[in-house]
Amino acid sequence: MEHLTKETLARLVDERPHPEQRDHLASCTVCALELRALRQQTEALGSLPDLRPPPGDWVELEARLMSEGLVDGGGRSNGFSVLLRTGWMQAAAAVILFLGGTSFGAAMSGDVEGAIHDPANARIASVPESVQDAAEAVYNAEQAYQQALVQYGQIERGGRAQNYGELLGRAATLDALLAATQEAVRIAPSDPFFNGLLVNTLAEREQMLRQISSTRDGGWF
Amino acid sequence: MTEAQLIRRACQGDGPAIRVLYERYAARVYAVVRRIAGDDDLAQDYAQEAWIRAIRALPTFRGDARFSTWLHRIAVNSALQALRKAETRQKREGPMPETIAANPTSGDVLLDERLEQALDQLPVRMRQVLILHDVEGYTHEEIGELLGVAPGTSKSQLFKARGKMRILLQALMAPNGQEEVEAWSI
Repeated sequence: MEHLTKETLARLVDERPHPEQRDHLASCTVCALELRALRQQTEALGSLPDLRPPPGDWVELEARLMSEGLVDGGGRSNGFSVLLRTGWMQAAAAVILFLGGTSFGAAMSGDVEGAIHDPANARIASVPESVQDAAEAVYNAEQAYQQALVQYGQIERGGRAQNYGELLGRAATLDALLAATQEAVRIAPSDPFFNGLLVNTLAEREQMLRQISSTRDGGWF
Repeated sequence: MTEAQLIRRACQGDGPAIRVLYERYAARVYAVVRRIAGDDDLAQDYAQEAWIRAIRALPTFRGDARFSTWLHRIAVNSALQALRKAETRQKREGPMPETIAANPTSGDVLLDERLEQALDQLPVRMRQVLILHDVEGYTHEEIGELLGVAPGTSKSQLFKARGKMRILLQALMAPNGQEEVEAWSI
């Protein structure tokens, strides 16, 4: 009898052999070994481990969830008027006034784009003089944060960084996101949503720095 | 907090609850989607789409099945649909340098890597059937339903895929034109 075909052997991984096939397997070492290998292959496939998503995946997903209105964020995303109604905004504004001389993030300057590219220049010295000004500052900070988050998500969606320079560029954007998040926490230090995001952003940044470090050490460039 | 509580909160758009669910199941979702997609970049898109769909559909989750099973099914459906829509496929890139095993189970990282490489090289339909059956444990009836084919077709594709996979693995074990070696000898 000729050797069993690969497809027949593959079927015998799950199914019982016909009598003539069983006889052949008993006498043919080649087919018996091949069947054993196919069984081991199937077993190994069933034991494949789960795979971690690439770095930055959560940040990007979070941005998408926000843009689709699937994350509520404790009501923050419902906008300025809702915040005013709930009194949260006024409380945050009071914090800003209290902080007085604290520098504010790029978000408040309205120069979000500039902040993204150069967080170091993002600080301005202006300090709100009224509760309403402060409230608007809080709102602007929130908007800037959202934009920074979305921008980082868009960069991540562009694909994986292929070289050291790209990684550095992404790290800079992540730094801008971090700055916007820190500013948001500074303005509303007890907001659990902002604090959660800060922790996430710090974790993403740490992961990115590790990737940069390993890339540099590996001599990609 | 129990999973049911987390799901209830996530249903209401609670960011931290969604994050916890993501941390718990991201590797599972990404793994099945990555293997079906056969490509890192596509996989990330498909996995994110799966999460968006799942979060959107959370209010319809009644708890009849386990959440992980429900989510897994959404991930598989999402990846299969996305693949169907894609008119052209990106060229395979071979190894997966940036994909990291979340919790290696076989204890043989090299074998896992070669299995993943061989999976990537399988024709799309064969790969889908092999992954759904041998990796994910779906029945031929379930696969037939998912792929819109008869269970017999699924079976036939599976046997072809296993044979092809065996050949690909042998080639990966002897990449320099050496004599074929027993795939499981290392």
